Amino acid sequence: MADSTPATSTPTMEPDVASEATIPKPFPISHIAGRYLLFDVNVISYARRTHNITGVLIGTIPNLSQQNVFLGIPLELQPEEARVLVEQGHAFIVDDAEVHRKGMMAMSREQRLKLLREMDREGMELAKAESRKAEERSTKALKEKGLTRKEKKSDESNSSAAVEGSETSLFDSKGETPTAVSVSEKKLEPVPITPTTSYPPLTTPSANAASQLPDVPKSYPLFRYLHSKGYFTMPGLRFGCHYSVYPGDTLRFHSHYLATGLDFDEEFELQDVIGGGRLANRVKKAYLIGGEVTSENDKEAEGDEIAPVRTFSIEWAAM
Amino acid sequence: MTRTEHMKPAVLPSPLSSLIKDEALRSQPSHLPSLHSLAIQIQHNLQYQHEWSDLQIHTRSSFTNELLPRPLLSGLPPQRLYIHPDEQIELLKDADRARKARGEEEGGTLDVKAAPEREWILPARLSEKWTLRRLAEVFDAIAVVPPQPESEDMEEDRAANPWRTTKRVILATADTDSTVVYYIVQDGMVKPRQN
Repeated sequence: MADSTPATSTPTMEPDVASEATIPKPFPISHIAGRYLLFDVNVISYARRTHNITGVLIGTIPNLSQQNVFLGIPLELQPEEARVLVEQGHAFIVDDAEVHRKGMMAMSREQRLKLLREMDREGMELAKAESRKAEERSTKALKEKGLTRKEKKSDESNSSAAVEGSETSLFDSKGETPTAVSVSEKKLEPVPITPTTSYPPLTTPSANAASQLPDVPKSYPLFRYLHSKGYFTMPGLRFGCHYSVYPGDTLRFHSHYLATGLDFDEEFELQDVIGGGRLANRVKKAYLIGGEVTSENDKEAEGDEIAPVRTFSIEWAAM
Repeated sequence: MTRTEHMKPAVLPSPLSSLIKDEALRSQPSHLPSLHSLAIQIQHNLQYQHEWSDLQIHTRSSFTNELLPRPLLSGLPPQRLYIHPDEQIELLKDADRARKARGEEEGGTLDVKAAPEREWILPARLSEKWTLRRLAEVFDAIAVVPPQPESEDMEEDRAANPWRTTKRVILATADTDSTVVYYIVQDGMVKPRQN
């Protein structure tokens, strides 16, 4: 499959240098409600291109959550993927809720006022744009009916006169009228804005915040081994295993293995091996079991060095 | 009710069970009799159901001469059991060249020549539980290619297949109803066949 790749595909594979330069290294992984998420498209493509991390896109339209084929950002990383990135120093974990809360609380008065003013300004711009649009709409509607819009000045004086007249006739209170006129002139109120992101004012946190390592299942050593060999992995639930393992980018290759990670001394049923092998054979793959080699005496003295991983590929013998 | 000497037993033991009984009795006490009889059962199945030949039982590692974790079998299948995908591509190319040399058209048949190879067989019972460590111990004790039986002439020994670089065993799993299923287990990551 690899040797039949057309040569023309190479230019598109070249990294987009401009977007890559903007990626902070290490890049932050947002930890929100137990999920590891990436929100930046550039970071997502960078992680995929450079670190063989695919993750799963989970972003959908809130009102159309049944749409599940063409999902968008954020990208959810498996804990194993996040762990590999953190262990290799390519990324760090950010507890988003905590950073947000702390950042908002720690803001100085000037910063807060600045933020509020900024929000007012944005709201005002939005309101102006709204009213302009409404005006254009009404002009267009009038034109369609063959009418032309009256001059703005005359319109305003007319309306204010009308207001004055009506006000006096109704309430007979002269004090109110000037206020009403001034309001109609400056009736634009800033639209209340709820910012969708907290930066600015918050900046991207730096890596020094001692980021904890993501908790990973016991199949992690196998994942790390596969990743170190340059394989791409996807969650293997649909094949009843831990990972489906691809020899290259998942968009270009079929997967080769259905991998299940085990402890070295974990007992497994032969029934499971046969079932896995049978299923994998059916979908033209091999079933892979593997785990970290632990020697029986120094189980707790593992230290920093990474123990080797032993794997076995299983295929149906067709007899 | 006692049975007299001249009467036949109500149910005759099957040839397999009498074989197991015999063999288990006269085998050397290297392994548990249950493991020996399992090996004999698999051997019987391979020989008579799958037409394998040159079946041998191995009790000791050829490297260290220590006892294997359990008796293993080796034998020759009637046709090649496993062809690595890269070897398959090579064989198809060879066959294509041969066909062109014969001057046949595209429609002519490709005859792929893959000579059968001796295989290791690991007998197991479905009721057993295995671990990666036990599996690794079996692989550590065997060579890539099983030894040739003494009866075979050395000159008949074919050139070693250059594609056979990883250890593999045929995991023969027997159920209590004597169904045996065969799966190929390879040491390490070996890409799947294009079946």
